[in-house]
Amino acid sequence: MLAEPRTLIDELLAEQGALTAVERFSRLHDQGLAEGSRYARLLPQSRPRQGQQYSFEVDLDQCSGCKACVTACHAMNGLLPNEAWRDVGQLVSRSANPPRLQTVTTACHHCLDPGCLNGCPVLAYEKDPETGIVHHLDDQCMGCQYCVLKCPYDVPKYSGQLGIVRKCDMCSQRLESGEAPACVQACPNEAIRIRVVDVAEIAESLRERRESFLPDAPDGRITQPTTRFMRRQEFAADTAAVNADEPRLQPPHWPLVWMLVLTQMGIGTWWAALAERGAVRSIAFILSLALTAAGVTASVFHLGQPLKAWRAFLGFRKSWMSREILAFSLFLPAGLTLLLLNSPGRADLSSRDWLPGAVAALGGLALLCSGMIYHDTQRPTWRGWRSVGRFMLTSALLGSLVISVVAAAQEVSAAAWPWIIAGLALIKFCFEYRWLRVPASSVSTPLHQSARLQWREMRRLTWARLAALLVGGLMFPVLIASQPPIQIAAASLALCWFAEIAERYAFFRTMVSARMPGV
Amino acid sequence: MTRRSQPSSLWRQRQGPLTRELDQRPADFGLGLVPERLRPDATTGLVCGFCSTGCGLQAHLRDGVAVNLSAEEFYPVNQGMACPKGWEALTPLRAADRLTQPLLRRDSSHALEETSWDTALRVFTQRFKDLIARHGPESIAFLSTGQICTEEMAFLGALFKFGMGGLHGDSNTRQCMATSHVAYKESFGFDAPPYTYADFEQSDVLVFIGSNLCIAHPILWQRVLKNRHRPEVIVIDPRATETAMAGTLHLPICPKSDLVLLYGLARALMERGCVDAGFVHAHTTGFLEFCDAVQEFTPDRVCEVSGLDPKAFARLVETVARGKRVSFWWTMGVNQGHESTRTAQAIINLALMTGNIGRPGTGANSITGQCNAMGSRLFANATGLLGGRDFRNEAHREEVARILNIPLPCIPVTNSLAYDQIVERVSDGRIKGLWIIGTNPSHSWIEQGRLRAALGRLEFLVLQDMYSTTETVRQAHLVLPAAGWGEKDGTFINSERRIGLVRKVTRAPGAALSDFNIFRLVASAWGCGDRFAEWSSPEAAFQILKRLSAGRPCDFTGIADYRMLSDCGGIQWPLRTGEVPVTERRLFGDGRFFTPDGRARFVFDSPRPVPEPADAQYPLILLTGRGSSAQWHTLTRTGKSAVLNGLAPVENYLEMNPADAQALGLTSGNRVSVTSRRATIEVRLRVSACLPPGRCFMPMHFPETNRLPLEVVDPHSRQPSYKYCAVAVTPAVEL
Repeated sequence: MLAEPRTLIDELLAEQGALTAVERFSRLHDQGLAEGSRYARLLPQSRPRQGQQYSFEVDLDQCSGCKACVTACHAMNGLLPNEAWRDVGQLVSRSANPPRLQTVTTACHHCLDPGCLNGCPVLAYEKDPETGIVHHLDDQCMGCQYCVLKCPYDVPKYSGQLGIVRKCDMCSQRLESGEAPACVQACPNEAIRIRVVDVAEIAESLRERRESFLPDAPDGRITQPTTRFMRRQEFAADTAAVNADEPRLQPPHWPLVWMLVLTQMGIGTWWAALAERGAVRSIAFILSLALTAAGVTASVFHLGQPLKAWRAFLGFRKSWMSREILAFSLFLPAGLTLLLLNSPGRADLSSRDWLPGAVAALGGLALLCSGMIYHDTQRPTWRGWRSVGRFMLTSALLGSLVISVVAAAQEVSAAAWPWIIAGLALIKFCFEYRWLRVPASSVSTPLHQSARLQWREMRRLTWARLAALLVGGLMFPVLIASQPPIQIAAASLALCWFAEIAERYAFFRTMVSARMPGV
Repeated sequence: MTRRSQPSSLWRQRQGPLTRELDQRPADFGLGLVPERLRPDATTGLVCGFCSTGCGLQAHLRDGVAVNLSAEEFYPVNQGMACPKGWEALTPLRAADRLTQPLLRRDSSHALEETSWDTALRVFTQRFKDLIARHGPESIAFLSTGQICTEEMAFLGALFKFGMGGLHGDSNTRQCMATSHVAYKESFGFDAPPYTYADFEQSDVLVFIGSNLCIAHPILWQRVLKNRHRPEVIVIDPRATETAMAGTLHLPICPKSDLVLLYGLARALMERGCVDAGFVHAHTTGFLEFCDAVQEFTPDRVCEVSGLDPKAFARLVETVARGKRVSFWWTMGVNQGHESTRTAQAIINLALMTGNIGRPGTGANSITGQCNAMGSRLFANATGLLGGRDFRNEAHREEVARILNIPLPCIPVTNSLAYDQIVERVSDGRIKGLWIIGTNPSHSWIEQGRLRAALGRLEFLVLQDMYSTTETVRQAHLVLPAAGWGEKDGTFINSERRIGLVRKVTRAPGAALSDFNIFRLVASAWGCGDRFAEWSSPEAAFQILKRLSAGRPCDFTGIADYRMLSDCGGIQWPLRTGEVPVTERRLFGDGRFFTPDGRARFVFDSPRPVPEPADAQYPLILLTGRGSSAQWHTLTRTGKSAVLNGLAPVENYLEMNPADAQALGLTSGNRVSVTSRRATIEVRLRVSACLPPGRCFMPMHFPETNRLPLEVVDPHSRQPSYKYCAVAVTPAVEL
């Protein structure tokens, strides 16, 4: 037995590489799944009829936080190493006596009015008319991730590796063949079941209850989730997500940061150009189209499957993203046509003055759609003016700055612009002030959390962008009001442009995400 | 028509390569539908390598290599279920930081560099032999783990002590199970947890003491839920844990008041006439003395010390008194205390005096920690001789010498030092060479700063591990790449004494070798290969272990081989030659214990004050413990799974009562400095009413937590007390 060490090492390395479990122990019986019996209680007895659909039912009294459902779903559906379609959150009572703690297993709610489906520009979602299961068509998806933002429950999961989003389909293949979904099979406590529910009943109960189906969960009236969380006891009034006060930075979505700032700068330039004549106007129009085209190009880098983007108009009935894409694809050719009509030798555009205005209106429409994309996610930091107003302001401020630079370059008098710029910068600063104000109280709304993230995790960037806005937007124009030299005008533009890029980065990073409580 | 069979159109692409990624097909092997990509051509079962529950997992094999894993439907322990760690058990094996070659620290650059096994073994033997030659055999030691196979533990212990001539070695099971080991040994005459998991289902009263079963052993909680007797579930724990929420009565006692509470409970039960006089008389000794000793623990004193509401205490007494089949269960809340052995024995005393032992649904039951802590307790050959024997007992030494066919003088005549004593000797320079196998003391040992400083003083530190990035690697001189669970054969013993099989279902990376094979190489390089010629494979070693168990309480000579273990779904010891295995087996049904007179002992002591009470400077009591079912110990494995990381807290945190937080002007989400007499660390605050004022909690999985507690060990088990130290909390400097 005692060989030379060298030989023994080789022998043992070879032995380590040999796999023998198959010959020695494997089971080659082709036994099928024990016929449903084990999970029969956890599955519905019949298929949904008219006006019904499948839903998850979670018995919270049985959920003890083991999280096996998440990993079983992961393993039995063959998901990517970092992909999970289910999650487990935790609710705690902050002060109640006796204290309460509740773990919550959650996945796709297969909503009655799915946000993902409504927002998808390529119609990659289908709600099965019979089962109500919200399916994602993986080969249809162009990877824009808008559904990730649209879903209040953080359900669709984007994979950079695949370039698409995927999500829970209630293991519909298993359900079709009479098996229980992976999570249902794997819950040691039998806390997860599939039930047939009446659609009208769900809608009614959500309408009646003002708050959502769980404390600290997003408002159920947005998408009408069908999951039912059962619990013997009511939740105490002070129940909150365990991590309610630990907001996390979100992905920056860099291509979207560039896309938004560039397209807004481009369209703003067109608007501002309307106030000018001659060379300034012509140059500004060209710059406008170039900037907008660059922005649109940047957005392509956000797509996981850009070659599938040609279907992006399909969702125009419901999706603001489809509408935005349509609006931009009208604005750019319209603007270009106008420029071609205006090429040397042809009549000056001033003779048909309504045309540039019409193109500007198209640009405005595109901007509105951009804003509505974010407003429509119903996320508190993005609602209403926080998106639409913000985008309009960016547009006006950067557009005016571009014109002032062009005017300076052409040595055309443009006395009004510095004051307009300063005014816009001031408005913008007030806007920022409202966003960044942290109240003294310990009440923690999503807006406060967004502000806190900026003053904690992004402190230096926040100071830098505010300083850039004040110096570039306010100080320079006011100091050198009448006729700024081109260097100052350009510096002004560069500083404000930096401020806007940084602001848009913060817009995405500090979006306090909507998710199930405590996950 | 199913969605997947609907045709595609230009506008709706329903089919395609991405859709096919998730297409499922019947897998056979009882698995139902699985993703077509991962459809197995064979499957095999193996026991999980994380905790001591010992769940059966089913590896889905393709060409002999595991491509997926699921919980095994027919394994008696888990019955088709697994916790997230089990489901994700293959992922840590594929981690990028796996060790693939031995690493040697160069004197010149102080950096670890790859080297060959040849060189590694030469350095290993030269350096250790040199130390022995210069400073004697007590100058080297090993620290092992409860995570390797029994065959490997036994081989290591035998090799180190009977081959290399070392004396001192211990295992990280000291951190989790030493208390139960000592408590059982003194009370029952052998380290023999008496229960079987079916007892969870058969009790009418279950009392959990210092156990967060829902999080630490989720699959055992499943067995509790299968109980059809509508049981009372009493949870004694300073924190309102998931288990406390799920139970019927939670007793939030002051930390470390459990001994007083348990003695008080014993007294109250005596007063109510709940003593099973027949059983006590026939099968125990020391009851009268115990009876006298507990008289001072009146309900008033119990409530004063424990902080319990008298009504809650009365309900505890009432519930236990009424129970027909009462089982008592404990885990680390008991084991990791300054008087843990007596506390565990106070639980055993309750079971003995009420006759709640040996019958279905009863017992004083320790739920173990690591997957093979029980194997370590019997066969590590560290502080005790192989097979639960004693080095100091000449008859035991002779038996072992005969069974192993080695000269009697090879066997040391003293038991080894315990972990903390080894660390102490490393610290004062008496131990100069240390061999660490499969554990991460630079993260896990109590009072981490002291431990790290001690390791820094070693002349030679060898680490045998799977990963190149553990905290301990940074201090090692030589690193040996080990194959992990799933990459080797062997057996584990779970909490209910079930011996289960672990199999090689995937290849180890590079030149990593199973611990068993590393020990073979070391034996050969050391020049004592002949003495261990019979240890040629894990299964050959298993036959040696059988012989070592013969005639001992843990006798499993009735298990023929691995095949039989595989066919039976694991087998609980004892199974003597000729006995037929049964699925569930409990001990002491005949009232005969393993003491020389066959009687169980009532062991007790006066409670002692905690070593570091809260004071004005450090006004809060810090508890540490398991924070999530998705994390395991020092995260060397679970930290490699993105899915498990997603289920765990993103960063370390301190849990604190709202009243304390308010007094300090803190709210959830604030960063706080936590200071003990040892260290200051910074973490995020979570305000929660799950802890009463004056106490706070921090999960143990993050590396800095163990810098805080004070190194205190129970005098009998020498297990460290992780669950009690005084700290102060202040707002962290934040702009």
